Amino acid sequence: MRRLLLLVSVVVATSLANWLGWRYGAVIWPYGTVVSPMPVPEDGKVLGGIYVNDYFDLSYPLPQGWTEGLAGPDPSDAGYYVLSSLVPQSEQNAAIMIVAQDMFFASKSHGNIAEMVHDFRQAMSEVDGMMIDREPTEVKVADRLFYRVDFSGVGLYRATFTTESRCHAVSFNLTARDPELLADLALSVDKLSSARKQDAGSPVPYCIENYAVPENLLRRVEPTPVGPKFMPIPVRIIVDTEGSVKHVHVIRATPEQRKSIEDALRQWKFKPYGLNGRAVEIETGLMFRFTVAEK
Amino acid sequence: MTQLARRWSLTSIGTVMLGATALSGPAFAQAQDRGGFDLHRHFAQNFTPDHRGGGGGGGSGGGSTGGGSTTQQSIDPGPRGGDRGAGGAYPGLSQGELAFFTASTDVFNEVDAVANGLGPRFNMTGCGGCHAHPAVGGSSPPTNPQVAAATEMGGKNTVPSFITANGPIREARFVRNPDGTPDGGVHALFVITGRSDAPGCNITQPNFAAAVAANNVIFRIPTPVFGAGLVEAVPDSGLQATFTASAQQRRSLGISGSFNHSGNDGTITRFGWKAQNKSLLIFAGEAYNVEQGVTNDAFPNERENDPNCQFNNLPESTTNLTDTTNGASPAAGFSQDIIDFAAFMRMLAPPTPASSSTAAAQSASGTQVAAATADTAIAAAASSTSSTSPTSTSTNSSTSTTSTSSTASVSRGQQVFKNIGCQACHAVNQTTGKAAMTGASNMTFQPYSDFALHDMGTGLADNVSQGNANGRQFRSAPLWGVGQRLFFLHDGRTSKIDVAIQQHASQGSEANGVISNYNQLGLTDRQSLVAFLRSL
Repeated sequence: MRRLLLLVSVVVATSLANWLGWRYGAVIWPYGTVVSPMPVPEDGKVLGGIYVNDYFDLSYPLPQGWTEGLAGPDPSDAGYYVLSSLVPQSEQNAAIMIVAQDMFFASKSHGNIAEMVHDFRQAMSEVDGMMIDREPTEVKVADRLFYRVDFSGVGLYRATFTTESRCHAVSFNLTARDPELLADLALSVDKLSSARKQDAGSPVPYCIENYAVPENLLRRVEPTPVGPKFMPIPVRIIVDTEGSVKHVHVIRATPEQRKSIEDALRQWKFKPYGLNGRAVEIETGLMFRFTVAEK
Repeated sequence: MTQLARRWSLTSIGTVMLGATALSGPAFAQAQDRGGFDLHRHFAQNFTPDHRGGGGGGGSGGGSTGGGSTTQQSIDPGPRGGDRGAGGAYPGLSQGELAFFTASTDVFNEVDAVANGLGPRFNMTGCGGCHAHPAVGGSSPPTNPQVAAATEMGGKNTVPSFITANGPIREARFVRNPDGTPDGGVHALFVITGRSDAPGCNITQPNFAAAVAANNVIFRIPTPVFGAGLVEAVPDSGLQATFTASAQQRRSLGISGSFNHSGNDGTITRFGWKAQNKSLLIFAGEAYNVEQGVTNDAFPNERENDPNCQFNNLPESTTNLTDTTNGASPAAGFSQDIIDFAAFMRMLAPPTPASSSTAAAQSASGTQVAAATADTAIAAAASSTSSTSPTSTSTNSSTSTTSTSSTASVSRGQQVFKNIGCQACHAVNQTTGKAAMTGASNMTFQPYSDFALHDMGTGLADNVSQGNANGRQFRSAPLWGVGQRLFFLHDGRTSKIDVAIQQHASQGSEANGVISNYNQLGLTDRQSLVAFLRSL
């Protein structure tokens, strides 16, 4: 009898752990051990003077004497993230803001990062009194291709370093009261490195735009309309090699809307995405907008 | 409103609009008895330029604490003096529209009594009492008329602690119900109990002292409605185009933003602190019932149902079957009050900004808008804590020099405004589409707002959701006319523009990047920015 109870306990515990893993995207090892939740863009944080973001695979040591500033807003309904704000501990003479824009949901579509950066440069040049000090320039940092643009006006000197990661434009926006300080901050970007551990598990999913379309869907369950109507609700999902939804990230929604969408999406079934003759894991985005009356 | 009362009110327009003398305390003019009805009065407009350097004494603090510094010395010299440049009709109206506007202005300025529908609960007795400064259609005046309204006609109301004689006009909302569920609704400050025109009514005020003690009350001050017709006439596609045009600058500053939408038709809503109201008519109808307790065709039911406090048939304001203007404006005469309120707001001209040179001259003659150096600016601000004394450090003989400097300062401030990112939310231009109002089609105007919602962080959060706006989101407040405003932010917590700027920064705010830029500026540039804002 005791052996039977033990067996039932193990089965229940394992099932619960696996359900939690499925529900929250955690990685489950044998014996039900939850190793780590699947990262999302907004999870990055400063630890021991280093900004680490597992989703974007970034590790950035803060400049000496710097700390976290005020947190930014929640992720937006256009897939925009303020990942971190960094400030000097003493004088308010400079700032660094790390941001990301999900390319799937940007208000203006850009073919690639270079196009987006040139668009940004053009917009800044049209601001009254703003000077472009450095045209968009390719720079290589930590084996990543960044585009750097420098501009200045009203005594503030600014530089942006933008790179592409998982179909996001990730930018380091630097501001300083004098050009020398800006140059120092720009050097600090060179210290960027990968956040991934050598023994990291599965590879990063391929980023595929517009994969959640009828021709790729084998089963679709509509979420129950809840909460305020007409709100755009951007969602990223990871589809595994079997075509099942492995992970759901509702970027911005009310809690009720989030649950409704998660519950529905986990029942979706896709055709597996094939690459070079084999199925691969992919990440894609889709947008919801409830327009009918709340049930 | 009775036709009799309306007729009386129109005949009094000459007295009220042209000949009224500003009163201290509640700024209304007691009307003469016409037609046997003696309770109908109008708010008079103070035609004396206001030179309240340093604002109106500030509020008693909002329901939440701000994130910005309020301890440093203010660099805001106070509201701009000189010509009000507001309160008139939109230029170029047809003769019929102008008559409609004139008659509607009179209705907007009426003071209601219980017989007209006031109560059972109310915050104020007329639209013009709250939307008063610097002219009809504006915001809080220097003297808060709610203090007097509390006890008019024998009223027994206790004035809540957050309503002060020199503070902002406020409505109060409770954040939570007693059971902890979200509330967010307006709880009117006053009741008609004790008034001579409400015999037998014995309801009591909400327990505001307890709500304040429990940190369960937030405040809103009146939004100015100048130029509201132009705002209404911007198509959704125009708002979206302006919003998209700022996307690159917003993205570099940590700003996202989104629009509020009508739950009925999905179009963008744009009026009110959270852009929660679709149209001026809805805005008027809701305010008439919520702020004054006057039921109308848009909001036909009383919010307070105590049978001993019901004195009128409902709705209390409805379509008139005869022209109450005797032909002066049949459109206004037949319409119910909320139609007239909406017409007034729609045809109310935008506020006129001071040109750079005008601002400079005004600053030299009244409070100092800008100074040649940061030091003199601080000196001017420091000596202007008294609200009435001219504080310029310049003398008459140096007016020309100061004017030149001030002109440069305002111009520089405009550049600062755009450079550091203020314009990313306070979008300078909007353009109307085809509009029914004469002269309003395809007009580019300068409201300084994108009319979108932005997360303003924990410091400004009121924890009240309205439509798609959550408890931390607010509409970018239009900055036109801000040069003459006395109180700032949704709850009127400050009368200093520079303090209001700093309050934009707190945990979770979209404005943190812009305020970081502002704080990195030199003092002269910060002063220039304030000078520019006070020129609007």
